[in-house]
Amino acid sequence: MDDMMILVVEDNPDDEEMTLRSLSQAGLANDVEVVRDGAEALDFLFGTGKHAGRDTKRMPTVVLLDLKLPKLNGIDVLNRMRQDDRTRSTPVVILTSSSEDEDMIRSYNSGANSYVRKPIVFADFVGVVSQLGMYWLLLNQVPGKKPFGRSDA
Amino acid sequence: MSGLRLRSVRTKLFVGVLVTSLAAILITGASLLAYDLHNVRRALTDDLGTQAELIGRACTPALQFDDSKAADDNLALLKVRPNIDAAAVYNGKGAMFGHYVRDGAAPETYPMLGGGEDEVRFSGQDIFVNRRIIDDSHEIVGFIYMHAHYNVFDRARSYLGIVLAVGSMALLVALLLSLWLQLTVTRPILNITGLAQQVVERGDYSPRAEKITDDEIGYLVDAFNRMLSEIGGRTEALEASNRELGHEIAERKGAELALRHSEKRYRALVSTLSTVVWAANQRWEFEGEQASWEAYTGQSRNEYKGSGWRRAFHPEDQETLDRFTESASKGQQTYEVELRLWQAASASYRIVGLRPVAVYDGAGEFREWIGTVTDIDDRRRAEDEVRRLNVELEGRVRDRTAKLEEANSELESFSYSVSHDLRAPLRAIDGYSQALILDFGSQVNEKMRNYLDRIQAGTKRMGQLIEDLLSLSRISRHQLERRPVDLSAMAEQVLQELQQREPERKVQVSVWDGIMVDADPRLLKVALENLLGNAWKFTSKTPDARIEVGMVEEGVRHTIFVRDNGAGFDMAYADKLFGAFQRLHGVNEFPGTGVGLATVQRVMFRHGGRIWCQAKPDKGATFFFTLQEDNPAPVVASSSSAQHPLRLD
Repeated sequence: MDDMMILVVEDNPDDEEMTLRSLSQAGLANDVEVVRDGAEALDFLFGTGKHAGRDTKRMPTVVLLDLKLPKLNGIDVLNRMRQDDRTRSTPVVILTSSSEDEDMIRSYNSGANSYVRKPIVFADFVGVVSQLGMYWLLLNQVPGKKPFGRSDA
Repeated sequence: MSGLRLRSVRTKLFVGVLVTSLAAILITGASLLAYDLHNVRRALTDDLGTQAELIGRACTPALQFDDSKAADDNLALLKVRPNIDAAAVYNGKGAMFGHYVRDGAAPETYPMLGGGEDEVRFSGQDIFVNRRIIDDSHEIVGFIYMHAHYNVFDRARSYLGIVLAVGSMALLVALLLSLWLQLTVTRPILNITGLAQQVVERGDYSPRAEKITDDEIGYLVDAFNRMLSEIGGRTEALEASNRELGHEIAERKGAELALRHSEKRYRALVSTLSTVVWAANQRWEFEGEQASWEAYTGQSRNEYKGSGWRRAFHPEDQETLDRFTESASKGQQTYEVELRLWQAASASYRIVGLRPVAVYDGAGEFREWIGTVTDIDDRRRAEDEVRRLNVELEGRVRDRTAKLEEANSELESFSYSVSHDLRAPLRAIDGYSQALILDFGSQVNEKMRNYLDRIQAGTKRMGQLIEDLLSLSRISRHQLERRPVDLSAMAEQVLQELQQREPERKVQVSVWDGIMVDADPRLLKVALENLLGNAWKFTSKTPDARIEVGMVEEGVRHTIFVRDNGAGFDMAYADKLFGAFQRLHGVNEFPGTGVGLATVQRVMFRHGGRIWCQAKPDKGATFFFTLQEDNPAPVVASSSSAQHPLRLD
């Protein structure tokens, strides 16, 4: 679990709070990084700008990406990630308020692994986030990393 | 002769018979008379000759002996012959020897005799005989002279009497003959004559002449009758032909009249036409009067004659005109050319259409050009105006479209914002109120907890409102794609989903089989979800709840209905029903945002159809809708439209 890391890209502090609370309630709050716009998200991922010097060998297990972001929006961030070898296969979950077909189509076309709408009711929100964490951190397999559930098997 | 010609056949016959008989009698009488006279004379001559011979012989001795006494005696013997008036004997030397004169006779003048021949001479009723006296030795011894008379008139008179008697008898016979002739010949002829007169006077060919005899007249009657019937037939044919001819003439007159009328009409028409009508010869030269040309252009006859008419067109159009007439003359297809022609009335050039037609005579020989000049100036101007207006309109439409697009994109960004931005604060409100309960559970009392619950309920409801509004706006923006949709199957699917969401509900559902419609399936699904959702919702408090989906056919219009026996509503508020956020029930009574029916109505409008309803409070509601305007939108696919109840419990 130690090398498991979640990157939350969220500009709304309330949503950030709710997401963190949900992850914490699900017991997945060990290593959660939060960036507040698209540009910072890229800086973090590639160790540039404000995040220069960060160990870029350590990539997030999953990125929870909002679509509506200051500077660069979620789709732009996703496109940049998919163009770079370091982040090409990093799982990205679009976590957004939008239920527009267009947003979904664009997200999947840009290489999103999942598209989840934020529920309004907090109880539902907790449920969604914990399920996401469980799936991407514990069940989903990516090269070079053993999933938690299978490590002892 | 002319008098004779005029007389009737009867008279002619009578006269003919009479004349013939009389002529025969006269000729016969005259011949007999002449013959008789001739005989009498010959007999007399012979008689006198013999007498003279005899006297001569008797006197020969007297002469030889110169005995004149004896001679006188011999002569005196002539007394027995009363017709001998005188006689004389001459000696050989011609000297009177003896003589005799009858008693009572006129004194005789004796001729001188001597030599010559014997002769007999007639003079009137007198006969003179001279004879030689010859002796036995054939020597002339003397001469004898005798003078006799005979009565011719007595004889003729008696003959005349006979002729008259015979003539009278002949006359009588002629009369009788003519009577008989009249009976056998004249009457049939007269009959025919009368008939002919009658025919001529009355023109009636039907009567026929009576045939009495079998001779030439009978034949004549037959021929006449045949002729009559022939003439009758001919006359009839002639009359028929005359009548026909009369008809024909009348018809021809009618046609001529019609032609004249038509020509007048044509002239009148031409005179009322605003169009100029002209005629030119093969070389495009005006000949004769061109009244309408003159009226339009104001050119005088001298000005337009020959090729002068060309100068009435605008100087800049001369070349076009020349090209046009040239190519028309070459037989190239030229229908109309637009040129500017001087109009005298407005003292300006106006756009006209010049349209020539080649005229060929009966033999297919090209004769002349006739044609029209139509003022299309107003039309051109109007067309230009229309074109200008169209351009303007197009500009305006582009403008509007741009504005509409702008508004649309605004709407889109608005709904995007609604979807994205409005929901975030709600999530925060709900989240923090939950956090309060979770983090400060021990310090939250019952009242605080109640308020926090209400805050959460409010956010939930607002979230639903936002969802519904987004759905409504999505329907407006959605691109309509019609295709055949099985509405029955779709309705059943929606109802099954509703049943699964609330498995404890018991609703009697009946969806008609095979309702096929031509609609956008996504929009129709939204509409059915709302309508059936409503029906499901408003029957929640109704025991023995029933929902029915069916179709009504009214002529070409097919109307689909969704009926329930639920809460219903007062029809007084029916007009508010389809407005957004309009609700007829309290939220506590039945949950809902009041956007559903507005959404349904929008779906129907998008299809060109409409929606309406019938309801009564507590008696249920029926929603009717069509998906196409005045068109048979639904097509019943299955032959049976029987209700097919489907129980979902």
